[in-house]
Amino acid sequence: MLPSRSRLSVLVFLIPPLALYCIAVLFPILQSLFLSFFEWDGISDLQFVGVENYVHMFTGDTVFWRAFFNALGYLFICLVLQLGGGLVVASLLTSLRRGREFVKTLYLLPAVISTVAIAFLFARIYSSDPVGLLNQVLQWVGLGDLARPWLSDVNTVLAAVSIPEGWRFTGLYVLIIYAALIAVPAELEEAARLDGANAWRIFTKIRFPYIRPVWITTVIMATTYALRGFDIPYLLTNGGPGQSSELLTTYMYKTAFTSTNYGYASSISVFIVVECLVAVGLIFVLLRRKADA
Amino acid sequence: MKKLLGTIAATAAVALALAGCSGGGGGNAGNVNPSGEIKPRQISWLLSRPADGGVITTMKQIAADYAKKHPGFSLNLITTPDRPSYIQKYETLAAANKLPELFDTDATPFAAKLAKQGRMIDAEKLLKSLGLYDDYRPAALNYQRFDDGSLYMVPFEFQLEFFWYNKALLEKAGVAVPTSLDDIPAMCTALRKAGITPIALDGQDQWPLERYMAYHPFRTAGPDYITKLKKGDAKLSDSTGTAAADWLNQLGQAKCFEDGFSSTGYSDAQGLFTSGKAAMYNIGTWELGSLATDKLDPSVRSDVDYFTLPTTKDSVTAANEYVSPSGIGMAVNAKTFDPLVRDFLKYALTEYPKRYAATGALSPTSNVETTIPDNATPLYKKAVDQANDLGDKIAMPWDTQLDPTSNTRLQQELTLLVQGNIKPEEFISTMDQTIQQNGPKAFK
Repeated sequence: MLPSRSRLSVLVFLIPPLALYCIAVLFPILQSLFLSFFEWDGISDLQFVGVENYVHMFTGDTVFWRAFFNALGYLFICLVLQLGGGLVVASLLTSLRRGREFVKTLYLLPAVISTVAIAFLFARIYSSDPVGLLNQVLQWVGLGDLARPWLSDVNTVLAAVSIPEGWRFTGLYVLIIYAALIAVPAELEEAARLDGANAWRIFTKIRFPYIRPVWITTVIMATTYALRGFDIPYLLTNGGPGQSSELLTTYMYKTAFTSTNYGYASSISVFIVVECLVAVGLIFVLLRRKADA
Repeated sequence: MKKLLGTIAATAAVALALAGCSGGGGGNAGNVNPSGEIKPRQISWLLSRPADGGVITTMKQIAADYAKKHPGFSLNLITTPDRPSYIQKYETLAAANKLPELFDTDATPFAAKLAKQGRMIDAEKLLKSLGLYDDYRPAALNYQRFDDGSLYMVPFEFQLEFFWYNKALLEKAGVAVPTSLDDIPAMCTALRKAGITPIALDGQDQWPLERYMAYHPFRTAGPDYITKLKKGDAKLSDSTGTAAADWLNQLGQAKCFEDGFSSTGYSDAQGLFTSGKAAMYNIGTWELGSLATDKLDPSVRSDVDYFTLPTTKDSVTAANEYVSPSGIGMAVNAKTFDPLVRDFLKYALTEYPKRYAATGALSPTSNVETTIPDNATPLYKKAVDQANDLGDKIAMPWDTQLDPTSNTRLQQELTLLVQGNIKPEEFISTMDQTIQQNGPKAFK
């Protein structure tokens, strides 16, 4: 039990950030929840419509579902690149004897470049006319038949807008996972190796269980970031062609600021909040259960 | 639990109060001559025009001259040239009731609501009271009008949209300039066979492809078609709409636009034409400086010419009627309209035409002559003179006509149709359904 003076100090230090959090995060969420029961164009009076926005969203809006499944595809690609790629690179880094800092910096570089610059960069890489880097490389290696306008092809565009986002933050996850991996006691690995365990067994039985808490955090971070992904798809294709790269976030943005349908956009934003909470809950349950097993 | 419910109720009440702040805020839209003293101060214009373009350059000079006579006056120009970003900014400011003295807008349903709420000054009354109304080209004013004929925006430019083409490339493919819209698909096939990209298109910005959607119905059914369609009083499934969708499908099948056009930007598309890779390019006279002066690549300079929107077999509109926009208009905020704003507008709008025409651009008024720049090719004068031979009907760009939700969907579906990802029937049924859902309530 803290003495009363200390309790007061704790409160003094905790209340301002808590208040800021309530104003900046909770209040807008509650306001969105409130607006989602109305039809509102921003300049006319609010019109109460009950749950009509939600009914339309779940039963009458094909674009919403398209955007939802696209967002899942986007999430999958981002997770594979950021967590899968991050884990592989971090593991390789631990076995690197020289130049670790250089490689780490190199991988982290995209995370510090502005999003707009990354979008421009990839627009050039994917370009077909004038021929971009990707199509040029395909020509050089004799795979010219695979060359295509990557951002205009409805079959490739979702992957094409997900890859820059995944690539961009891989370095960040490399750093986090690498920090966790080097904290694994070397004696444990050494002992296992003496007992005849191979690299895979050492990884699955010693390294991974040891970094599981960090892994849970990175999975949650990567998942929530990807579910909120907006800027690169918006800048590269604006959700097109058609709705092939439309994500829930870009759809919500357009509904609010192009269609000025703030009520319906609010119901989409409430869905995104719930979706993120459900995703985090699922990750906790699944990874904790595995750890307990 | 009770406390939690109480908190939620209080939050909801605050949200309601905040949301309620947005409405209203109008002044007297009809009072175009407010009484009182002219008190110089800074006024702002929220606009969507190129920062180094003719309008801004001219208005800066005019404002500086006005400030010399009225110390303390200044004009703060806040420009967002990217149109979708601008619209978001302007609509958000309108929702917060924070629009400045002057702001740009097209004659959209959103602007019509602002006008209805008395938040914009009646531009027709204002121009008449300033004695300037009759100077304006009727076409320039008509472009700015709402469906009921009312005028709330003042035009600052006048443009004609042409099909620019490369004579040498057409000759190489053995094709002539199309006389009918229906000739274009066959022309594209011939050009593709000759290894030439038929038409350069900025698909990324979406409005350029949407122009092609407007062309066929404008020729076969006239300008009223879109005014009916947007309210759900006409359907794309009728003969006019079906013919238009089929024509666009043919353009797609004939590979009229460059590969990957949907992700090609404005300057890349123009680059395809000016570098001699594409045979045609549909753009307005705002690009005269790039297409009809010595800035144009010498290798194509003598080969470039233009033709106006071709007709169709049973065209109901004349060959001299096509897209002739007067650009985004300037609205005057009724709430902040005072003797100073009126006096500045009187000075600015009187001075503007001659100074703007001197930059080589077409003025929205007919009382001045455009100065042809020294580095112009003969095409420049031809294009400027073309403004004197215009018919009465204007092909309105559909992006300024449809409600925003239907417009966004149309832009998306059009790309899919022209890329061959959907069939014309699917396009028609999706669009009819979308317009039916959103159009009537937007224009009620």
